[in-house]
Amino acid sequence: MSAILAIWIFMIMLGLTSIGALVWAIQMGQFRSIEAGAESIFDADEPVGSVTDRFPASSRSNNTSDNNKVGNQ
Amino acid sequence: MTVSAPVVPPTERWSIDQSCRQVILLWYGSSVFWLLFGSLLALVTSIKMHTPGFLADTAWLTFGRVRPAHLNTMIYGWASMSGIGTMLWLFARLCKTRLVWREGLYLTAIYWNLLVAAGTIAILAGYSTGVEWMEFPAWAAGPIAFAFFVIHIAAWKMLANRRKGHLYISLWYLFGCTMWFPFLYLGATILIQTPASTGIAKMATNWWFAHNVLGLWLTPIGLASVYYFIPKVIGRPIHSYHFSLLGFWTLAIFYNWAGTHHLIGGPLPAWVVTVGIVGSLMMFIPVTTVAINHHMTMVGHFHVLKTSPTLRFIVFGAMSYTAVSVQGSLQSIRAWNEVTHFTHYTIAHAHLGVYAFFTMVAFGSMYYVMPRLVECEWPSANLIKVHFWGTAIGMSMYWIGLTWAGVEQGLAMNNPDVPFLEIVEYTIPYLWSRSVAGTLMTIGHIAFAISVWQMLRRHGATSTEPTLFTSPTRLFRFRKPPEVVT
Repeated sequence: MSAILAIWIFMIMLGLTSIGALVWAIQMGQFRSIEAGAESIFDADEPVGSVTDRFPASSRSNNTSDNNKVGNQ
Repeated sequence: MTVSAPVVPPTERWSIDQSCRQVILLWYGSSVFWLLFGSLLALVTSIKMHTPGFLADTAWLTFGRVRPAHLNTMIYGWASMSGIGTMLWLFARLCKTRLVWREGLYLTAIYWNLLVAAGTIAILAGYSTGVEWMEFPAWAAGPIAFAFFVIHIAAWKMLANRRKGHLYISLWYLFGCTMWFPFLYLGATILIQTPASTGIAKMATNWWFAHNVLGLWLTPIGLASVYYFIPKVIGRPIHSYHFSLLGFWTLAIFYNWAGTHHLIGGPLPAWVVTVGIVGSLMMFIPVTTVAINHHMTMVGHFHVLKTSPTLRFIVFGAMSYTAVSVQGSLQSIRAWNEVTHFTHYTIAHAHLGVYAFFTMVAFGSMYYVMPRLVECEWPSANLIKVHFWGTAIGMSMYWIGLTWAGVEQGLAMNNPDVPFLEIVEYTIPYLWSRSVAGTLMTIGHIAFAISVWQMLRRHGATSTEPTLFTSPTRLFRFRKPPEVVT
C-alpha cells in the first residue's frame, strides 16, 4: 500500500506543478500580446521571409546565395 | 563580420549552436546506431511472422525476445536519444543561452548507451520483464529514471538562464515533457517492478505508462520540433499562436487519460475504460488545432518541399500526426475496437505514431541541426532522396498492408464460423508486404547512416569561414566556444 501512497503523492505533485506553471505563465505575462510571440524565433539576420534550408549543392537551385547559407556565420 | 549593431549579433546563434556541438553529435550519432540495430531486429521479427522457421534454433533470436528487443532499442535507443538531442539544441536556441552542463550531458549520453545496451542484451538473454514497453529488467529502471532527471534539471537550468522573456510554444512542449516523463517513468516503475500492483492493476498501469511514452514524451518533442522547424525553414511565423497555446494546454490536460483505451474488453471496471475513451476523444481538440495551424502556416509555401530536406520530413511527420491521432481517437470507440483489437491493425497504428510521425520529424530535425553543428553541408542530395523515398514509401506500404490485413482479420475473428488457421493463412501475403516495406525503410536508414557518417568525417562542402575549422578531433574535445563577435 505504501507504493500506492507514493504514486498518489507523485501524481498530486505532478498535477500541482502543471497548475503552478499555468499560474506562473499568466503572472509573467506569457499570454499578453500572444501573436508577437510567434515571431520570437526570427533574428535580424534570419528574418521573416528567409528560407533557411535546402538540399546540398544542387546546381539547378535558383535561390539566392544569401538564403542558401547554412546559417552559422 | 562588419554588421553594424543588429538587434541580434549574427554570430550569437552560431556560438550557441557550437556550444551544443559535441554533446548533441554524440546523442545523434548514438541514436543512428540504435536505429540501424533496431531495424535489423525489426526485419528478423517481421520475417519470422511469415517464415516461422527463420533463425528459430537459437534461443536468443526467438520471436519472444527479438520483438521486445526491437521495441526497446527503438524507443529508448533511437527515438529517445535523437529526441533528447533535438530537445537540448532547441532549448539552447530558444532560450538564447549556451548548452549547460556539457560534460555532464556528454557523460549522460554514454551512460544512456550503456543502459540501453545492457537492457537489450538482457532481453535477448531471456530476462525481459514481459511488461510491454518496460521489458528492460527491473535493475535498469532506477538508472534510466536517473538519466531522465538529469535531462530535466539541465532543461530547468537553461530555462532559468534564458535571455528571452517569452517562452516560445516549442519550449512549453519540451519543458512539459521533461517534467512529466520522469514522474511517469518513476511512478510506473514503482508500481510495475515491485509487488505493489498485480493482475489487472498492473495492466492498467502498464498501458497508462505505455501510451504516455508516446503521448507525453515523444509527441511533445515531435510537436515542439514541428512548431520550430516549419516556421523557421519557410520563414513565416506560425499561423495562429493562440491555437498553438490552446493545443498545448489541452494536450497537457487530456493525453494522460487516454491509456486505458488499450484495455477495452478487458476485465476492468467499465468506468476505468470509459475514462480512457473520453480522454482519447477529447484529443480531437489539440489535434485539430495543431493540424489547422500547421496546414495554414504551410499554405502558399508548399513549393519549399521541393528544395528543403528538413521540410519534407517534417511535413510528412506533421501530416502523419493528424492521421495517427484521428485514427487513435476513433480506434478507442468500443464498437470499432472490438474489430481491430488483437490484430495487425494496432501494429500499423503504433508505427504510424512512432515512425511516420515521430521518426520522420526526428529525421527532418537532424537534417537541419547537424550541418549547423558540424559546419559542413550534407554530403549528397541523392542519399537524402533515397532516405526520404525509402522511408516514406516503406512506411506508407507498411501502414496500408497491415491496416487492411488487420480489419479483415478482426472481422473474421469475430465470426465464429471462420476457422482460426484460415485467418492466419489469409494474413501471410500482408506480412510479406511488411517485410518488403521494412526493407525499404532500412535502405533509407542505411542511406541516412552513410550521410551522418560522412558528415561527421566532414566529407560535405564546407559552408562557413574556413578559419573556424580545426582538426576533426574537435568533435570529441571540449573547448569553450568562441565568444560572440559583434
